[in-house]
Amino acid sequence: MGNPERLVGAEVANLAAAIERAAADLAMTEEPAGFTVALEGEDEAGEPRE
Amino acid sequence: MSDWTIATLARAIAARKISPVEATQEHLARIERLDGRIRAFITVDAEGALATARALEAELVAGRSRGPLHGVPLAHKDLCHVPGLPTSCGTLTREYFTSPFECTAVARLREAGAVMLGKLNMAELAMGPFGDNAHHGDVQNPRREGHCAGGSSSGSAAAVAAGFALAALGSDTGGSIRLPAACCGVVGLKPTYGRVSRAGAMPLSWSLDHMGPLTRTVADAATVLGIIAGYDPRDATSSRRGVPYYERTLETPIAGLRVGVAENYYFDGITDEMAGAVHAALRAIEGLGAVVTQVRLPDPQPLVDVSNVISRSESATIHSRVLRDRPHELQAAVRARLDTGFHISAHDYLQALRLRGRFTRAFVREVFGEVDLLVLPVIPEPAPALEAVKAGTADEIVARMGRFSRLTRPFNGLGLPALALPCGALSDSRPLALQIVGRPFDEATVLRLGHAYQRG
Repeated sequence: MGNPERLVGAEVANLAAAIERAAADLAMTEEPAGFTVALEGEDEAGEPRE
Repeated sequence: MSDWTIATLARAIAARKISPVEATQEHLARIERLDGRIRAFITVDAEGALATARALEAELVAGRSRGPLHGVPLAHKDLCHVPGLPTSCGTLTREYFTSPFECTAVARLREAGAVMLGKLNMAELAMGPFGDNAHHGDVQNPRREGHCAGGSSSGSAAAVAAGFALAALGSDTGGSIRLPAACCGVVGLKPTYGRVSRAGAMPLSWSLDHMGPLTRTVADAATVLGIIAGYDPRDATSSRRGVPYYERTLETPIAGLRVGVAENYYFDGITDEMAGAVHAALRAIEGLGAVVTQVRLPDPQPLVDVSNVISRSESATIHSRVLRDRPHELQAAVRARLDTGFHISAHDYLQALRLRGRFTRAFVREVFGEVDLLVLPVIPEPAPALEAVKAGTADEIVARMGRFSRLTRPFNGLGLPALALPCGALSDSRPLALQIVGRPFDEATVLRLGHAYQRG
């Protein structure tokens, strides 16, 4: 088994690098709540029960 | 009774062919007889269940029915807070989680007339896709002893498959409803993020947690979803959208529905038997009139990275106390996953949350502009042997966990509704399964396709 601290460090570094690559061209207007807007922005599906 | 569904039992109760007390007694007797081997339950509440059943029977005698769940025995994952019962969340601590109010999903099922038999086994802190648990016993796959039941809602799937309960609640942060459903040959639905309240259930990752049902049929999943879905002021992420009558659209023919099959990623590295079963199911779906086409899906790896940053950060925050005060109580792989979260920067966490919105918007626009639904595998291989999944170092186990959940995890990041259902079995009885994914809040169409396929 390898050094646990080194393995955690490697995983965190890999994740940080992946985030940096993906976020390179994020606009300032992109905010965390954009996820909810992406889901709720769809047309309502089905016949309302309530 | 082990082959009954909610629909058939509800009809029998309504016709007075069986009473809620008799149904409850039969299920408790089956649990008593078989669960010593399967280990689906952490807590059996026989006394409470029988008291509820007697009260519901009295209501029926008085001419009052609460609907299709009146007198139907259910059980729930041991991360749902139920007043009067402990909630271990699969840990060594008997009362690991508590809440000022009852789990909303459980409360809605109770109000609809369900009888709760008890609390179900699960992976420790809902962190693990195989269903092994060092504290409460590894959940055995009822279809094939010695093989994993899937996780983290292992007891939920095993209880439904073993005939201990007609349905069970589970939670799904990276596949924890769909993976055990696929391993045990039952139906598991992860609804859209925000469709079902998580209030009163132990959180693992606020941004990725979903509650949903495990049942024997898609029609039963529609029944349970109709009861537990809907706005809840106790869950800030709960959607205010109206809840459709899912049962009403189940029988609508699927002719003309556009079904996409992924030409990239989702069939890479899965066993021939699993791929063959999903493709056979697609041919059957085509035979029912759906239009099946190949689609190229956005590369899921950036989304999986984003989800891992979010889940690791949030789970370490939520469960920091046990990791700080009693780390020796945690299984090594759970400790390793939690520990990572302490080292992720706030910058990366926030970037991940921002990216998630972008990925979801792009996926919905690009994929659902071409097709109405996706059909994909759920697990890369049939339920593996329990001893095999527990072997190796903590890092090896964590890597194995990631590989086993790689087909379900993207849809937690995207928040999309995803249904797992059986599509055959190997000669040794281990189930094969497929996954249907739909547009946000379009569980009705997901369930419609699943029901049409299951009915044949």
